[in-house]
Amino acid sequence: MNLGIRAAIVRAFRRAALPLASYYAVTLALPLANGAARPGTAFVEHALVVLVVPPFLIVLACMTRGIARGLLCACRQISY
Amino acid sequence: MKTKLVAVIVVALTVWGLKRHYSDAGADDLRWMLSPTAWLVSTATGTAFTMAPGEGYVSHERLFVIEKTCAGVNFLAAAFGMVAFGFMHRVRSTVSCVSVLGASLIAGYGAAVVVNAVRIVIAMWLATHPITLFTLTAGDVHRFEGIAVYFGGLVVLAELARRIDRSAFLARCGR
Repeated sequence: MNLGIRAAIVRAFRRAALPLASYYAVTLALPLANGAARPGTAFVEHALVVLVVPPFLIVLACMTRGIARGLLCACRQISY
Repeated sequence: MKTKLVAVIVVALTVWGLKRHYSDAGADDLRWMLSPTAWLVSTATGTAFTMAPGEGYVSHERLFVIEKTCAGVNFLAAAFGMVAFGFMHRVRSTVSCVSVLGASLIAGYGAAVVVNAVRIVIAMWLATHPITLFTLTAGDVHRFEGIAVYFGGLVVLAELARRIDRSAFLARCGR
């Protein structure tokens, strides 16, 4: 992975820490505290999706932005 | 320090209370969330929604119901908690504590209605334009859409709050 994209991902995770924490607190921690993870409930499967999708979106957004910037830079160099 | 602790406790209790109310409430009890959301969705899509007691807001034309699970109370709780914690460094007195909590509640409520309406508008579009990705069902796509819109909404709200906080700080410094 490009070093610039990796740094952007680290920065994005740092910026998204508060939204990520509040999202996890409301969608995972509170239901868990209320005993939502009882066996036989669909909560574990739902929790896995909730846990994985936001970090995946952050990485995807950073990579898309990095690739778009790289392409734009390459286009500019070609035109000059 | 004591005021900050009180603020943290009030935020935690409010979030817990919202969740508690949400789990016990029916669609009729959640009109304060469902009604503005249905109005926004109706304005954005041109679809008429009517209140059906015990069910929520129904569109017979689109066969779509804005029901209890669409209320966005989870988002409201997350948004309120996030904005309140983001501005917690501004709590220095009782007045500033009440201001921060009040502003956080208003920001959280406004954001919840808007983000929830966006989520429902996209869900309505997905219902008429089903997307098949790998082995994902329509329910899975709906779930991913919900997570993406809610999390994206929280990120945008956090960024807005950060900018407002920074500009208020710069204005106070006279820069």
